[in-house]
Formats: sequence, C-alpha cells, structure tokens
Amino acid sequence: MSQSDTLHALVPDLRAICGDDGVLTDTAQRRTYESDGITYHAELPGVVVLPTTPEQVAGVVRLCAEHGVPFVPRGSGTGLSAGALPRADGVLIVTSRMRRIIEIDIPNERAVVEPGVFNLDVTRAAAPHGYYYAPDPSSQQVCSVGGNIAENSGGAHCLKYGFTVNHVTGLQIVTPQGELVELGGKAADAPGYDLIGAFIGSEGTLGIATRITVRLLRSPQKVRTLLAAFDGMDAGGRAVSAVIGAGVLPAAIEMMDALAIEAAEAAVACRYPEGAGAVLIVELDGPAAEVDSQFEQVTRLCRDEGAFELRSADDPAERTTIWKGRKSAFAAVGRISPAYIVQDGVVPRTALGEVLGRIAALSAESGIRVANVFHAGDGNLHPLVLFDDAEPGAGDRAEAVSAAILDLCIEAGGSITGEHGVGVDKVCHMPDMFGPDDLAAMDRFRRAFDPQGIANPEKLLPTPRLCGERPGARKGVHPLVASGEAELF
Amino acid sequence: MAYPSESTEQAALAAHAPVRAATAADTAAGTAARLVAAPADAAAASALLGEAARLRLSVLPRGNGTKIDWGAPPRSCDLIIDTAALSGIDHAAGDLVVRAGAGTPFAELRRVLADAGQRLSVDEVVPGSTVGGVVATGVSGPRRMQHGPVRDLVIGMTVLGHDGVAASSGGRVVKNVAGYDLAKVQAGALGTLGLIASVTFRLHPVPPALRVVRAESDDPGAVGAWAAALRRSQVMPTAVELDWPGGGPLSLRVLLEGTGQGVAERADAVAAVLDGAKTEDAVPADWARPPGGPDDTLLEFAVPLAEVLPTAARLHDAGAAAGASVAVKGSAGCGVLYAAVPAGTAPDAVQRLLLLLRDGMAAGSATVRRAHPDLHAAGLEVWGEVPGLALMRAVKSGCDPDHRLSPGRFAGGL
Amino acid sequence: MDHRTDATGRPHDGGLAHVASGEVGTPLPAPGEGDAEGTAHRSFDDLLNDCVHCGFCLPSCPTYVLWGEEMDSPRGRIHLMAQHADEDVLSAAAVQHFDACLGCLACVTSCPSGVRYDSLIETTRARVEREKPRGRGERALRAAIFALFPYRRRLDLMRGPLRAYQRSGLSSLVRRSGVLDRVAPSLATMERVAPPLRTAAPLPERVPARGRRRAVVGMLTGCVQGAFFPQVNNATARVLASEGADVVIPPSQGCCGALSAHAGRAPEAARFARATIETFERAGVDAVVVNSAGCGSTMKQYAQVLAEDGAGAGWRARADALAAATVDLTEFLTGIGPRAERHPLPLRAAYHDACHLSHGQGITAQPRDLLKAIPELDLADLPNADICCGSAGVYNILQPQAARELGGRKAADVASTDARLLVAGNPGCSLQIAAALEREGGSIAVAHTAQVLDASIRGLGPAALLEA
Repeated sequence: MSQSDTLHALVPDLRAICGDDGVLTDTAQRRTYESDGITYHAELPGVVVLPTTPEQVAGVVRLCAEHGVPFVPRGSGTGLSAGALPRADGVLIVTSRMRRIIEIDIPNERAVVEPGVFNLDVTRAAAPHGYYYAPDPSSQQVCSVGGNIAENSGGAHCLKYGFTVNHVTGLQIVTPQGELVELGGKAADAPGYDLIGAFIGSEGTLGIATRITVRLLRSPQKVRTLLAAFDGMDAGGRAVSAVIGAGVLPAAIEMMDALAIEAAEAAVACRYPEGAGAVLIVELDGPAAEVDSQFEQVTRLCRDEGAFELRSADDPAERTTIWKGRKSAFAAVGRISPAYIVQDGVVPRTALGEVLGRIAALSAESGIRVANVFHAGDGNLHPLVLFDDAEPGAGDRAEAVSAAILDLCIEAGGSITGEHGVGVDKVCHMPDMFGPDDLAAMDRFRRAFDPQGIANPEKLLPTPRLCGERPGARKGVHPLVASGEAELF
Repeated sequence: MAYPSESTEQAALAAHAPVRAATAADTAAGTAARLVAAPADAAAASALLGEAARLRLSVLPRGNGTKIDWGAPPRSCDLIIDTAALSGIDHAAGDLVVRAGAGTPFAELRRVLADAGQRLSVDEVVPGSTVGGVVATGVSGPRRMQHGPVRDLVIGMTVLGHDGVAASSGGRVVKNVAGYDLAKVQAGALGTLGLIASVTFRLHPVPPALRVVRAESDDPGAVGAWAAALRRSQVMPTAVELDWPGGGPLSLRVLLEGTGQGVAERADAVAAVLDGAKTEDAVPADWARPPGGPDDTLLEFAVPLAEVLPTAARLHDAGAAAGASVAVKGSAGCGVLYAAVPAGTAPDAVQRLLLLLRDGMAAGSATVRRAHPDLHAAGLEVWGEVPGLALMRAVKSGCDPDHRLSPGRFAGGL
Repeated sequence: MDHRTDATGRPHDGGLAHVASGEVGTPLPAPGEGDAEGTAHRSFDDLLNDCVHCGFCLPSCPTYVLWGEEMDSPRGRIHLMAQHADEDVLSAAAVQHFDACLGCLACVTSCPSGVRYDSLIETTRARVEREKPRGRGERALRAAIFALFPYRRRLDLMRGPLRAYQRSGLSSLVRRSGVLDRVAPSLATMERVAPPLRTAAPLPERVPARGRRRAVVGMLTGCVQGAFFPQVNNATARVLASEGADVVIPPSQGCCGALSAHAGRAPEAARFARATIETFERAGVDAVVVNSAGCGSTMKQYAQVLAEDGAGAGWRARADALAAATVDLTEFLTGIGPRAERHPLPLRAAYHDACHLSHGQGITAQPRDLLKAIPELDLADLPNADICCGSAGVYNILQPQAARELGGRKAADVASTDARLLVAGNPGCSLQIAAALEREGGSIAVAHTAQVLDASIRGLGPAALLEA
C-alpha cells in the first residue's frame, strides 16, 4: 500500500476514536491547517484529527504507531518555526478542543489544564485569587499551554521568572507508542530522571502533552514600568549593561530601535518620545519597598547613560500604554514594509553592542532594512528583516541577511533560537551550533522515546534529506570550542 | 571472550590516566570498587571512558565523594573515575554566566563568583561537594524556592558518554531553545547516563542585604498556618525553611534578600505573620545542611505545598512510634523535606516508616537519599513507585546500552 | 456651540452637514485601520494579503470558542477565502464555514495587522450568494427572513399572530411551514420579551429640544427596534430632547440595509442604503443618531455597501457624507456632554457590549461613562465581554444551535455578575441573552442604554426598568 492508501485506510478507525466531527478529510478544510504562524512553510495534512480527551489522543497515536504513520501535534498554530508543519503522509493531531482548565488549586499554588487552553486563560482563571501564570509569550492570548510545552516558551518576563520548563511540575503525556504516562504532579522533584524537563521544548518530537500541571505565582505587590528614550542604540545598550551590572534583576528589559519605533508609531500611535534612536522599557515588580528603591536606581542609571526622556508608569493603564508599542512591534512592521522576516537569535548580553553594529553594517551593505526589537536583558534579538516581495531578488537578499544574522549570533557564542524553536525553519542551522556528536546524542534521546521516528519527523534535528550531508564540517570539534568561546576543561 | 586480567586492564587504562587499586575507602553505599583512575582533563577522561567501554568495565564517576553513598548501591563498580582534575572556572561576569569543570570544588566556585559580586543561587547542602556532584545528585538547598532547583540554573552541559564521546547541549546564553535540553536528565541522574565534564550556569548578582526572620512553635498546625500566610503575602521570600530536630519545637526560617530598605520592610511584614518572630541579618550556621548526622538514613519527601506540615507531623509521629527521633528539615516554600532517621534504627523499622509515609501520601514522592549499607542489604526500598519508568529505561539504554555507568544506583535498577 | 440650523429649525439646503469633531464626537472609524473609504477602494486580494496568519483573532471568535477548529476561525475563513480567490473553487464546506460566521467583528478589534475581516466577509458573502445556489429549504428560509425583517409594517402585522404562537406553543398557523418553525421561535421570543404595544405612543416627526437647543439630529427608528421596541425609540427621543437636541424622525425611513449587507445580499442592501441616504439628506440634520448597534455600524460603512453593488463615485461620496454624520446615541451624548439632571437609580446592572457597537464602531467607553454617571447605579462588567452573545442579526435563525450555545455561555457570564438589569445597545442582544437565561431557569430584566438614561432623567426609579 502506498502511504496515502495507508492513511486513507485509517480514517474509519480515526472516526471511531474521535467521532465523525473530530476527523477532517475535506481538502478545503485540511488546507486551513497547512501552516502554523509562518506561512512560507506549508504542507497539506493527510488527515486532521481534533481529539477531546487524552484517551482519544492516545488512541490516535497508537493507531499511527501500529501502522508506522507519522503524526504532527498542533496547538493554536501560532508557532514561528513551522514546528507544526503537517505531513502529507501523516495525521495532524490538533489539541484545540482540549481546553478545559481542570483545576485551580490555590493552597498548593498549582493549575491543572488541558493542552489546548490559551496561556492567558490560566492567568485569567488564577487572577481572582491573586495569582498568575508567569510565562507570557507575546502571543499569550492565543498560544496554547501545550504549544508552550513543545516550545519551552518564555516571554518578556522570563528574564526574572524563567521559561515554561521552570513552571511545570506535572505532565501527562502520550508517548509516540500511544501510551499515556503520568510524570510528576503537584509536588516538585518527581522521582527518576527529569523527563518533564527534557520533554519541555522537545517540539512535539517526544510525544504529546495531554494534561499539564503548572505553578501559579502570587501576583507582585507592585509593578512599575520605565520608558527611557536615548539618542541611539549604543547609549541604550550601555544603560542595559549598567542596570544589570548594578545587580538589579528587572522583570523585563526590552529595547526597540528607531525603525521599530517608527513602525509601532504607525500602527498603534504609541507616542514614544520624538527623535528617539532607541527606547528601553524596564519593568520592575515585587515587594513595594524593593521596587521603589530599584526604580530610582534604574532611573538614575538611564539618565547617567544619556536618556533624554524618562516616563514612568505605576498603574495598569499607564503600563499598557508603554507596552502597546513594544507588543505591537512585530505586526506593526507590516505597516512600513510589504514583507518581512522575523528572526530570533541570542547573543551574550555583553556582545549586544557589537552584534547590533554588525547587523547595521549588514543592512547597509545589502540595502535591506533591519528593524530591531529585542529582549535586551537576556540578549534575545528579534531583528525584523524588511523587504518588498514585489521587487525581484529582494526576498533572497533578505533571507541572506537573516541567515547572516544567525551566523553572527553563533559567532558571538549565542544561539540560533531563544524562543521560537527550531522546527523546520532552523533545522539546517543546528549543525552550525552543535557538533555531530552533540546531535547524535540528541538523536539517541529522541529514539528512546520514539524508536519508529513517527513523532513530528524531520523537525528539530537535521536530516541529510533536508539539509544534505556536511562532510567534514567541524567534525569532532564543538562549534563553541572552535569559536574560542568554550574550552573543554 | 577472555576476561582481561586486572593488570592488563590497569595497564590499558593507565595509558590515559593514573590508575590505582581501590582501597577500603573507595566504596559506594557498600559496593567496593576495584580500580580508581584520575584523568588529568576531560580529554583524558574521554579516552579513559573509551577504554573502559572496550574493557566492558562498570564505571562510577566520583567528585569529592561526599555523596557517593547516595542512591541505591551500584551493582558493580570496576572503575571509579575521579573528576577532581576536571576543574576550571570560566566566569563571564558581564553575561552573568559561568562555566565550571565538574571537579571544581563548589566552595571555590562560590568564592570566585562572590569576588565579582555574583553567585550561583544554589546553597551548598553538603560541604566539600564538587560542581559535578551537586549537579549529578540534583541536591538543591533552601534558595530553590526563589531560584529553582540546581537543574533550573544549568544552561549548558558537556557530558562524556558511555563510550567517552563528549556531547554538549544548551550553550552559554540563558535564553536558548535549540535542541533537547539533555542537561535536565543528567541533573540528578547520579552518573547513570554519563560523566558530567563541565556545566554552564546562569548567575545572579549577590543581593546587597538579607534578613532571616525566625519563629518557633510546638504546634505543626500553627507553623502550617504561618507558611500558608506567607504564601498569601507578597513579600517574596528567597527561602522558607522548616526545621524540626528530633525533640524540641519546630522552627520556620524565612530568608529575605534584596535592598537594605526593602528587606527591612519585608522582614517587618513577615514578623507580623509569625508569632514571637526574631530577626537576624545572617543565615544560621546550619543553613542548608541536611538534618541529622552523617550516618543517619536520609529521606527526601516531595509533597504539594499544603501537605508540608502534615507530612512533617506524620514523620514525627511515625518516628516516635518506631522509637526513633526523626529530624525533619527542608523547604516549606517548595514542598521538599529531608528527614533523618537515626543511625542504628532497625532496618525493618526504617522500612515500615517509609512505607507508612508513602501510603499516607496522596501526591508526591518519598525516596531514600542515603542509607547505611546494612539497610540496603535488608532490602530497603529506595525509590518507591516511579511513574514513567519504561521511558527512563529506554533513555538509560539509549545513553548506556550495556548499563555500565553507575549500574543499579538509580530508580528501577537503572 | 455651532448651530447648523437656523433659529426656526428649518433644515439647511444641500443635504447633510458634517458634525465638527469635539461637538458630538468624531464618528469613529472602525478599529484597526480606520478608513472605510480606503478599504472600499482596495482590492479583495490586497485585503487578504494583510493577514499574516498570527492567529491573534482565534480567541475572540465565537465559533472558534465553540468548536475549536481552524475553519471556523477568522484566520481559517480568510484562508478559505484565499483558496477561493486563488483557485476560484467554492466548496460546500467553505460556504458552511462562511455561513457560520456571526459577523461580530471581534476579530477586527483583536487583529494587530489591521486586517479588514468585516470587509472580507461581506464581499465573500456576496460572492457566495451570487455563485452558490442554496438548497430549497435554505432558500425559502432566507427569503422569508428578508421578506419580513427589513419591513417595519410587516413586522407590526406579525405581532398579533405571534402572541397566539406563544400562547399555544406551536400554533396551527406556523405548524404547516418548516420555515416558520425556525423564524417563529425567534420572533416569539421578541414578542415575549417586548412589552405590550400600548405602552409606546407613536413618535411624531419632530421632537423639540427641551430648553436651549444644542443640535438638530435625525433619528433612525430601525425595523426590529421600531416594531418590537418602540419604547426604546421613545426613550431615545426623550433623552435627546432632554439634552437639548431637536429630534427629526423622517416617517419615510425604512430599513438601513444592515441585515441584508451582513447576509451577502448586496443589491438589496444597496437599495436600502440609497433610500436611507436620501431620507436623511432631506432631513437637514447635524447628525444621524442611531440606537441600534448593527444599523449604526453598517451606516458608517455605507461606501463599502454601495461599492459591493458597484456604485459609482457620486453615490460613494454621498455614502461617506452620511457615514460621517452617523453617530451612536451614546457617542452623541458623551460628545455634547450631559445637561439634564440625572436622578438616582439604585440597582446593580451589567453592561453588555453589542458587537456592532464595540467591534463594529469601537464604542465601549461612552455607554459605560454615561451609565456610571447615573447616581447609585452599580455597573458590572461581564466576563468574556468580547465574545458575541450569538444573536448577530438573523444568525440565531440561520444557525440556531450555535446561537443557542453562545447564548448559554453569555447567560452564565451575566448570571455571574448578580446584576438585576442587563443593559445593551442593541435589541437583539438583550433578547438573546434574556431568552438564554430563561432556558437556564433564571431571569433578568433587560433595557437599552437609552431607557436607563431616560428613567434616570425622568426620576422614575429602578422599578420602571425592572418591571417593564
């Protein structure tokens, strides 16, 4: 039987598991699932299923395992690395109908949710009790907690509060063999290997999370946000270093350059100070006494580094005004450019200035504009590479600039992705960051979960089919070692 | 295949590192080693492991040996690899990260960082530990409440596999989601998945001021109410530690860190919640130390937050019923308690106590961290039920197909 | 205050006068992009391209909330539209998903890229109507709806028989017709919730301002509003007059065309739009005050409605002029500021955002500000305020199951506030939510914002609203 015949033959069984309305075979309907948050990777899924219970997910995966059919998990479909890119020969398992908040347990400071629950809804459910769920990716209103598990999502506030992996104590997963396994629960430190820790961020290659227990945090007593405007990125970058160097750990430090400010202004009229070459948003939260004294300190440091205008926000409405420009920045760039690529790379914070300078040089050489919006506190750059898709060759030049920026990140000792994940989009960049032995170790780990290789295949780890062989490329020497960034002790 | 003689083995290994015959001191939870090798660096350790693989030797990585008795006894131990020389500190102060060799003394790392006004926010639970030992046992002290357990602070790791091949994951930046975070499974794996060669950590600035607010009570219910009130408050303690020595009252110690003005006000807020609170401006000498003495049986209980004091009370009662004075200490703030059952308590009494506690727990886990070889010999159940064991076995087999790395030390005989 | 009529109140020559901003509030552009004009002139494909597939619209979409599937989300529907645009194939499945859209426009508000979904879905619906013949049953149902709802007098005639329907459960009158089985329950609900006819006196052609006149405004009476809720129109006129506006109520006015436009019946919608434009051009007023969210939203987009029917620049300009003069009642009142004294209304009320007010016109603060200014009125906000109640014009007739589920969710949200009165700026919403609450065994009084203001200004006390 051909692959599509195999898939076709599964449909009655899939319907028996998920119900008639839980299996999509109509072409027009399936096509709406052809891509996630980045549309330039698209593939018509063989079949789409919309299970409503963990048992249904397990049933579908077991069926796939029995027939050697690949499956791809998908949550809200907002990912930016094509991690949920479907397979024509596979089943797309969509968790968007599994969206019950099962429990808000305040005495134990935990929430138990299904994978399709929107991230922000966890906080909404906890808020009346004075609690919140800390990971806050920019798409938090729509991205699913299950998707956050796959990507180990962070957010603007992960500088202080960490990533999804730091906030999950229990997972129920369906393994690639279709077994339901409970890992951890409401208590910390589940015995045995920390499989929860390794599962989070595995991009759907180790199975599907079907129930998730997360920590809830007590809302901070006080939150204050500072907007500081500088003439240029250098001064802004110096202010970031000064703040971190002074021992202050803000909840968030975000920076935008002039082009990003221009875009945000066009989209949401955020009214950032006129003439700013860079704006810095610093948010402090915690006990009132701490926040107030640190706020003074941060304000002083920004002024010392040349901030020409400082605005502070102490209530939610004022904070929203300051954050509006930053949060809209990605989509806003659409207002100043017909097309753009959102890049996601990380550099050590001390390399920020140099890397930004080199990005500017790249931009100048290529004639491709680059707007910079980034999480300055942890060196996570989001260069927006702008181009006009109507102009012949512009797309290729933009792609080249975008890839060159990743090279700069690796060269500086950073990472090819801080939060968007590898997926399909960056899978061929993995050998730039990891050596063959590193990748082999990762592949062995994957095989331990998925010996058949049916869970989200060809994502996360490079394959010769996708990326070609790289004979001799950095063989045996770790790229970080080669770059002089790391020496083996 | 002929079994190589001891001297042939030793010679083959000696090509990569100084090797000596094990002494009476070279045991792990009662399992005696045959040989001890001390490679000069990671490359030598890698070659040594490769040689050990060819010779099919069982291997036990060891730092300073302070926690070598933790976990179950290894089934066999042909070769201890001493990581002492895999040391070194590469501190990128401006980036708040440090990379340290596994054999680096933890105290030395703390000193170097402190000189730069920074710290790895992990308390030294067992004095004399190495960096590798802290990570391999996953032992995390009181400050985990604010900063997470040690594995949360690891951002990169290089591990030598069963065949000696070095593999890295993570990197040198805090924010990084490229590839699997394999350091997570290595942390706490007791050397059963590989030999940790070096670890990169994220750091924090040393807060300018700290206060410890302490209060005592004979009533676990009252202390439980304090802990609950602290959770409801917004003072954000760095740690909330319970200490209940065998005999004597319970005490709760709340660590606050921050600016001078900030900690003063927060300490007042905490003192208002506790009855008869005293405030100090340094952590006590026994801070972060596990309860009891070095020969006691050390148990770990991880429970939901609201179960911390009831669990402590059950432990206390179960100890009393067994005629043993059980000391309890640990983080009320994150629900991880250590309990010390006095050395010399009859093995079946320890086993009964453990089973009683496990039966009474609606959620969480109770594991034996360290026990006297006699207790192991008597069949003490070290791990209890471990969900996901089949996956763990697959992970183990993937990393160590011949099960030669610290075999049997981990859950499920892994 | 700039008076645009002379002392006698005689209308200006030359049609509509623009209302200066700051007087009655600039008519708001739809959220996001803002220029209806620009949208009307951009190509469908161009508008489609604005979508970057980020998915931010998903949580705001009532059908996605219900069913959790991509095809019934704005992003999925846009994808289906693009499939249609690229390949010119309109599958039955796609039509079903377009039909399931409530047209609540919550996605327009939530879109960071400024995608004009409102425009996209109206164009798509018009294409569906043109290209996809519907089955006989569906055709008959739609014909019945559009032969009835846009016509005030026909609705009036229905009211007697409906009472009979309501009394008998299912009368012999409607039992014979499957179509009426679907239309009648909805109308019967209106009949049950709407007060008896005798309480509302017919409105005169002109209600003079009380005290010094501050403006001359036209008033749209609407079809459903007029037939079932004449007391809302009366309250609107009284409030406007109390605040110093001469209220002109052209008797010749008909349906504004909103229902037709939302259903893709482009020529019909354009016909109604032209008639409405002509009517109010002749009325000589500063502004056209609308108290029904769906009508106001469509009137502000008249250029698009006419463009859909292929109207020329002349008509589009006249449409723009009317659009610029169209204001929601609450928008108008906050713009001129309060003059009449507000008397206390001691009760707890919940305010529901009608989609075509909040998402269609960006009006959320004004009604709340007006209500909060009433002494002793305790105003609650609803959880999930952005999600449509399921009324959505005639949606509850065409998609009764989805409408019912959404109504149930909204009823639960309303019940959670412990309010005794539900206030909304659209009659359909109030009906839908009240009916859903009744099904759950609860009950709540409903009122239009105008009625609450009217009761406060006249000092009638809470009983007037709770027992109406």
